[in-house]
Amino acid sequence: MRKRTVRGESIHWLCSILMVCMAASLSVPSASAQRKDIAVVVNPNSSVTNISFADLRKCFLGEKRTWPGGAPVKLIVRAPGSRERIILLRILAMSESEYKQYWAAQVFRGEADAEPFTMPSFGMVKEAIKVFPGAISLVDPAEVKPGVELKVIKVEGHLPGEDGYPVH
Amino acid sequence: MWGRLGRMDRSALLPLVVAFLVLASLASGQSADSENQKDISSLQQQIKDLQQHDRELQERIKALEAKQKQADQKDQTEVRQTNQETASPPAQPPAAPADAEVSPDLHIFRGIQWRGFAEVDYKVLNQHTAELGTYGFVPGSSGNFYIGDFDLFLASRLTGRSSVLAEIDFEEQDAQAFKVDLRRMLFKYELNDHLKLSFGRNQTYIGYYNWAFRSASWLQTTADRPLVMEYSSNGGILPTQAVGILATGSIPSGKFGLNYVAEYGSADTIRPDINGDGLLNDENNGNYVNLGFFLTPDRIPGLRIGGSIYHDQISDLVLTANGATIGTQAGGTNVPPESERWNQTIVNGHVVYIAHGIEFLNEGFLIRHAPIGGGEIFNTSAFYSQFSRAFGAIRPFIRYQYVNASLENPIYDDVGLRYGPSFGARYDANDYIALKVQLDRLARRGLPDLSGLHFQLSGTF
Repeated sequence: MRKRTVRGESIHWLCSILMVCMAASLSVPSASAQRKDIAVVVNPNSSVTNISFADLRKCFLGEKRTWPGGAPVKLIVRAPGSRERIILLRILAMSESEYKQYWAAQVFRGEADAEPFTMPSFGMVKEAIKVFPGAISLVDPAEVKPGVELKVIKVEGHLPGEDGYPVH
Repeated sequence: MWGRLGRMDRSALLPLVVAFLVLASLASGQSADSENQKDISSLQQQIKDLQQHDRELQERIKALEAKQKQADQKDQTEVRQTNQETASPPAQPPAAPADAEVSPDLHIFRGIQWRGFAEVDYKVLNQHTAELGTYGFVPGSSGNFYIGDFDLFLASRLTGRSSVLAEIDFEEQDAQAFKVDLRRMLFKYELNDHLKLSFGRNQTYIGYYNWAFRSASWLQTTADRPLVMEYSSNGGILPTQAVGILATGSIPSGKFGLNYVAEYGSADTIRPDINGDGLLNDENNGNYVNLGFFLTPDRIPGLRIGGSIYHDQISDLVLTANGATIGTQAGGTNVPPESERWNQTIVNGHVVYIAHGIEFLNEGFLIRHAPIGGGEIFNTSAFYSQFSRAFGAIRPFIRYQYVNASLENPIYDDVGLRYGPSFGARYDANDYIALKVQLDRLARRGLPDLSGLHFQLSGTF
């Protein structure tokens, strides 16, 4: 009798664990979706298809200022408070005030013509990217829908959502 | 069935209860998600409306710009036009956040990028014996206010690859008089990332500090520059300003991030003695060559390791404050007015790390003076090390500096041995104003130690 009770308890626990696991598998999103990647976008006519993470950082630091074809890199960034801005600061390992001070210094040193264009909305980012052949920006991949004239480029050979994509 | 359940051990029911509770909580989460879905759809619609509104605004701006262009009849470049578009007030949509980065655009006026830097200082020293008074500080006083540098910066793109920049500095002198100095005036041409050329007056690329901070106190963490990197017009021992040609760029080197700097020009330095004797050293520099390299490895973002070697020829001519020639000055004794020419070689090495709120600057210098006609060679060593870490808006810092020049060296006979620490903190009140307080302790060979307290209010506009 004692033996049966112990086995019954084990079955109950096993069933319970299985149920919890099943429920959890239904409610927890996949790792890549949870990661909330940010897409790197360029002008639709740009020949750039892939960029290394180091070069991406150099672009947003103003250290890499021309694309391989010769077009000047034009930085379009989102305003403070947006997720794209948070990811940008994470890439640069800077706080918001350090970022502002850095760009004031870059312009003052003569290492940049102007601070990056700061846009408060995705719509403005999209318009600016269309205007400048060498434009680059960070956007939410969900915004890049069919028909939106933006070119999502790979970073380290990966697109947003793929394993190994480093911009998140 | 209920009877069977009733007979079951209570502990056997526990797992089922736990599982039920978990499932119930998850199910309620799912139902909450479905309710949230309606809100999300509503928000998406609002975003779409805002985007449509944004598009309409953009079209209106374009129409207004086109009208303005016709009226002005000016042949402006595409870049300038776009700068104006973003700088014009209607470009800021009504939904923009209160602090929506309007500042960069406000610094562009008709295609000209401008910025100003200013400071107000209060300094007190414990020694009333005269040291060189710089930036308006009155040597020998118990403490006084001064303005230091007031700096105006202008830059404008001329074509897609060329631009011009200028830096006009108003520097306080004795008796609150101000000297106007065109610190920089450069024509720049950028072929690509590998070759960028500049022609004109510039700060020399000896080391890191001169390049990084120029003459804007607001950019510096500390209230003043390290002695070795002080401007030569304020007693600094290096040729900090020059007119000439500069080439910079990156060298394809994979993950090492190798860059180069090459300069050729004329420095023509006049340096006041820093011991306050009122004499000037007119170095009459010949043309100089400066070649430097630095690495910014991909593996450690924020790290910069580099060095440079500079060479020119100088004289040891000494002038009085009113410009009269005295001659050479060796061991503190004036000799007949015949100056000697010297080979001057300056070797720099630096390791800098700036990331994650940390600023760690380290630079070392070896300055070699060798008389051209033969004779005793003098080597002067100097370094500074500065560490700071941001804690929110406050950035405490510590700096240690060292300069060791022979008193027999006619070029640096006023410098001698000087070393000591500085402590302090910088507080960024906002993105434009910084308050700094700094304590200095400087040991001097043959002179009493010098302690100082320095307050600074610096800003950009």
